[in-house]
Amino acid sequence: MITIIGGGPAGLAAALAAGESGSKVLLIDSAPRLGGQYWRHLPENGAWGKQEAIRHDFEKGNQLRQRVAQSVNIEVLSNAHVWRASPHDEHITLHLLVGGVGRTIDVKNLILSTGAYDRSLPFPGWDIPGVMTPGGAQGLLKGNYVLPGKRIVVAGTGPFLLPVAAGLAEAGAEIVALLDANRLTRWIPKFHIVLANRAKLREGLGYFQTLAKYKIRQQRGSAVIQANAGSDGTLESVTIATIGRNFRAKAQEIIKCDSLAVGWGFTADLSLASNLNLKQDVLEEDKSVFVTVDEMQRTSMQNVFAAGEITGIGGHQLSLTEGKIAGFAAAAQFGHLTDVELKGKLEPLLAQRKKERKFASALISSYPVKPGWQEWLAPDTCICRCEEVTMEQIQDSITELGATDARTVKLFTRTGMGMCQGRICGRAVIDIVGRESGINPTIQDYISASSRPIVTPLPLGILEHAPHIE
Amino acid sequence: MSNLYGVPDFKSHPDAIVIGAGVVGAACALKLSGAGLKVLVLDRGPIAGGTTGAGEGNILVSDKEPGAELTLAMRSRNAWFEISEEIGGGFELEAKGGIVVSRSDNGKTALRSLSRQQEVAGVEAIEVGSKELRLLEPYLSHEVDYGIHYPGDAQCQPMLAAARMLRILRQRGGNVISGADVIAINKDSVGVKSVLTNQGEFATRIVVNATGTWAGEIAQLAGSFLPIAPRRGFILVTAPAAHLISHKVYDSDYVANVASGDADLQSSAVVEGTKSGTILIGASRERVGFKSDLDISILRVLAAQAISLFPVLRNVQLVRAYRGFRPYAPDHLPVIGQDPLVTGLWHAAGHEGAGIGLAPATAELITSQVTAATPFMDASAFSPARFTAVLAS
Repeated sequence: MITIIGGGPAGLAAALAAGESGSKVLLIDSAPRLGGQYWRHLPENGAWGKQEAIRHDFEKGNQLRQRVAQSVNIEVLSNAHVWRASPHDEHITLHLLVGGVGRTIDVKNLILSTGAYDRSLPFPGWDIPGVMTPGGAQGLLKGNYVLPGKRIVVAGTGPFLLPVAAGLAEAGAEIVALLDANRLTRWIPKFHIVLANRAKLREGLGYFQTLAKYKIRQQRGSAVIQANAGSDGTLESVTIATIGRNFRAKAQEIIKCDSLAVGWGFTADLSLASNLNLKQDVLEEDKSVFVTVDEMQRTSMQNVFAAGEITGIGGHQLSLTEGKIAGFAAAAQFGHLTDVELKGKLEPLLAQRKKERKFASALISSYPVKPGWQEWLAPDTCICRCEEVTMEQIQDSITELGATDARTVKLFTRTGMGMCQGRICGRAVIDIVGRESGINPTIQDYISASSRPIVTPLPLGILEHAPHIE
Repeated sequence: MSNLYGVPDFKSHPDAIVIGAGVVGAACALKLSGAGLKVLVLDRGPIAGGTTGAGEGNILVSDKEPGAELTLAMRSRNAWFEISEEIGGGFELEAKGGIVVSRSDNGKTALRSLSRQQEVAGVEAIEVGSKELRLLEPYLSHEVDYGIHYPGDAQCQPMLAAARMLRILRQRGGNVISGADVIAINKDSVGVKSVLTNQGEFATRIVVNATGTWAGEIAQLAGSFLPIAPRRGFILVTAPAAHLISHKVYDSDYVANVASGDADLQSSAVVEGTKSGTILIGASRERVGFKSDLDISILRVLAAQAISLFPVLRNVQLVRAYRGFRPYAPDHLPVIGQDPLVTGLWHAAGHEGAGIGLAPATAELITSQVTAATPFMDASAFSPARFTAVLAS
């Protein structure tokens, strides 16, 4: 039995590769339906209406789900949150919360594909109702068929902003502004990589066509540097600035809107990887943390594979490819594929992955987050929303209390100790502490930010009934 | 790492060096500087990065049996409130009071007898029955009908306490260097001569070893020894629900566990709300070296014991869990005093789970010994010489 945690593109591809090779697969997913963030709440057949721009991908997601449903080898456990993975000598114990009930599963072979979530940067007013992440806005739309507002600003950086803006426009919202902090000129040295990934180019052009239909022009080199509340406490307007290559704000204007979707790329969800003490590393270019894997997607722990965003942010196509590789490699370990069969299956996939990884790294260098964003912060800007810690409190913990690293700032101010366990502010706090203290964060500082011994909150009554012996 | 606060001229030859920027080191540095010494604090990590950073902030008089440690605890409890005045607060010090309960007949008898002895020693200990318990803690299990209320028990946020004391130290001209790893403690015919670190050598005649669980390593560097070992503990932290619990509430088994020499897991729930809104649930005790794996079966025991005291906790969300390593000596007493083999090396370590509570009085004893003043109590029970005597025999 191969257990897969995470039913997004990587997990679906891994389940199908292993299952269709003859291995028994248990696919554990926290959502009610498979698909991950990328295919979250994918509408049933034909229900995607006018969303031509993303129709192709919707069809693909539905096909994968249908194949999983039809496979006799794949068992799916939905609504299942793994709140802890405990490594032992011969097995791993997974502690789950399934529909509010505690459960434990011992597994020997694991593929981790826990995906990623929107990366947020704190800025003045980001805690005002009406400000959300692009993933949050898309979730409202796809999951509940609800628009977050009537007049929406979409901002931040990265290609993901395009489908979000296109989807919102097609659903009837007015996109008052679509901003990207980075200029297209960053792409110039990498255009050959784009040409080698024509599917990506086609996808991007599709979004631009949709946007053109609604007369939405993307403003590059601009960012929302402040959100402003009206008398009722909800979002009334945003302050937009032209920003330089280092993200320093220049000319500013105020635009009225009732919603803001703002995101800065993605952060891998490495909590379970940290539970298992899997070897992780930090990408030099953007200091993002990833699980290190070999050619076959094997991690530092025997019989544990990793695929998708947790091995480095790269989008759904790379996730699908990595998932397939991990699925086939795991199946081969059980003798469900011969060496020759495995080689035959892997050959095109390895070439594909190489090409897609190149594209992923071009994306990372084309949509960087530059340190000038910290200059948008005011002393009273809330940095940790769960524990309501301000920029000034973080500065005081360094200058007055002598904190020299992010962990000590956390101990002094409670940043990252709240319900989200630093998922939202953890990385930003490391950057802020590095800049304010003048001490460069260590690789371990970045890796530690995703260490969460308890992965998701659970009632003490569930823990009480966990097994006596793991 | 770096020195954030510039380099005072005494840097190369402070009057005293305190090794360890946890709560005990910070208290020693504050008291020594109060006696007029120029103090340099060194730590290989950040401030409060060791056991202090994993502490609940217990300031207890309720869990000590009459004797030297209770005398130390009683003085220390009051000293915390004096320090709070002295440094302007800012570390969530709260005289919340503790309630020790018992559910078995034997346990009740033992608890009653302990509290009577504590009362004789001067601790305020009030016997409370079912009705009073309900008034003090409305959500306490109905199965609990006997306890002792200790109004003297208090709590603080230990990381902030250490940082606030070191802040005042710097204002007095002292200094703190984070990331300074001690490589050698050099001696001459007089005694301690200097401390060599990865950030330079500092000449001094007085070194205070306040490195807690790691104090044995420093003693060894100086050519002596201390039998301090780690005793692991886990703490559970909940989502905000502190309104449910007003005191520090624990089962009397806790007192027996603290004093136990058994290496296996011992656990009895200590449950309390904090000023930050969370509920903390401790405290497991195991001797497994510096093993850092999170063991769910231990967390489970803590959860079950806390729920048996407060059934309402069953539906409260667990958000975090963390572990720390208490520094313990074989006889469970702290080590406070000059090293019998190395003149000028003073130990202030081995407080096990009581280091936060005992820090100020420990600092007072060290300061009176270093400055040859009269100490507030006879500290011979804490002398590090007790281990060398065992060795010699």
